[in-house]
Amino acid sequence: MFSKEKIILAYTVEKCKKCNLERKRKYQEGDLLFAETSKCASCDGIAVIEKIFGETIES
Amino acid sequence: MDFTSIDFDQLFGSGGDTNPIMMLIWIIPIFIFVLYGQRIQLTVTSGEIKKGIKKLEEYKIKSRVELIDYVKKNMNPKDDPTKKIDRFLDYFTIMPVDMDPNGIVGKVRHIVRAREDYSREHVKSISPQTSKIELTKIQTLLEIATSLQMIYKVINHMFLTAKKQNNYPLILPLQMILPFILEEAEAMHKAIPTFKMGQPIGDGIGPMVVGKMMLDSKKESVAFQTILGETQYDQRKLLLLKAEGPGSTVGRPGDAVESILSKNKLDVIIMVDAALKMEGEDSATTAQGFGAAIGGIGTERFQIEDIATKNNIPIFAIVIKQSVKEAITLMTKDIADKADDVRSQIYEMIHDNTTPGQTVLLIGVGNTMGVPQ
Repeated sequence: MFSKEKIILAYTVEKCKKCNLERKRKYQEGDLLFAETSKCASCDGIAVIEKIFGETIES
Repeated sequence: MDFTSIDFDQLFGSGGDTNPIMMLIWIIPIFIFVLYGQRIQLTVTSGEIKKGIKKLEEYKIKSRVELIDYVKKNMNPKDDPTKKIDRFLDYFTIMPVDMDPNGIVGKVRHIVRAREDYSREHVKSISPQTSKIELTKIQTLLEIATSLQMIYKVINHMFLTAKKQNNYPLILPLQMILPFILEEAEAMHKAIPTFKMGQPIGDGIGPMVVGKMMLDSKKESVAFQTILGETQYDQRKLLLLKAEGPGSTVGRPGDAVESILSKNKLDVIIMVDAALKMEGEDSATTAQGFGAAIGGIGTERFQIEDIATKNNIPIFAIVIKQSVKEAITLMTKDIADKADDVRSQIYEMIHDNTTPGQTVLLIGVGNTMGVPQ
């Protein structure tokens, strides 16, 4: 009967250049597409921001 | 008076053919509707429109306040910028006379660019040390606030005129267009936080696809806020063009194509852009076609089409469909997930439509907010 309020949450997906491992986390201020962020958790490669997107949740 | 003796059958006419009370019950509403029907409809419709106008007013006020707060926080102006911003919000554009359409595109381009250039300079004058990226964001926020203010003014004017003259036919078109206007206004209002944060928007899928392909290439500025990269693919020379990210700009692809063509022989142009989906269509679906895929006022499209026609260059297009709201708010997961698929479609298109040794110009069209190269 009452429409629920929709909230958009921003996420960042990091991908390792070497092993292609993807990690999704909450967006942090300063995140920029294609920027190198951290070391890969599974190998010694460097993770790069692959995507920044929003997902809608209903509250 | 003895009420127990009233014959209800006779009173309501069920027992006879004519009855004065029953006649009145039927005839009075008919007279009321004949004489005051339009006024009643006007009152009912007015209530709905008033709610819509209230929403538009809310969006207008909030966008102004958010713009002023953002400028104060990020530009650190010496003086209070409120007065200046209020003046910017009232800027208007008078489109050139189109009675004689000859040369109209050049005139429109001149006026629109002059407006962009001067508003950029005026925004910069608030605090000259502001970075270029921050300036593009503020200019976009200003465009949003100006558009919301203009929408509110026009809709409110139409409503008040109809009310003042008790003119029901005048309110009908307003009632018809209001849901579409509200959808666009809501999308613009919801786009504000995305632009403030500098996150990619749905319209940025074209620059996102091309931006990634440009990462390891040699880049140069080829037109105002427009970047060109060069790479090789399958023995073809691949020229990559997009607006200069990560600021909020669409660049000047028309000027860029003109400049590129003066130095290179182009065999094919491929344009990747976001396109508005139709109702019922799924978001983030892709489609391929022919012709210049570029929105806006039409001047850039005209310029690219003109160059392509004069030089006999075929234009191919790949579009990623989305709603108005998706196009100007934070990019959705579905749209972002399409980037790799679009890239493989581009490579396939190049392979199928060109031969080794040819040159392809790939343009990522759209606002490059949050998308570097």
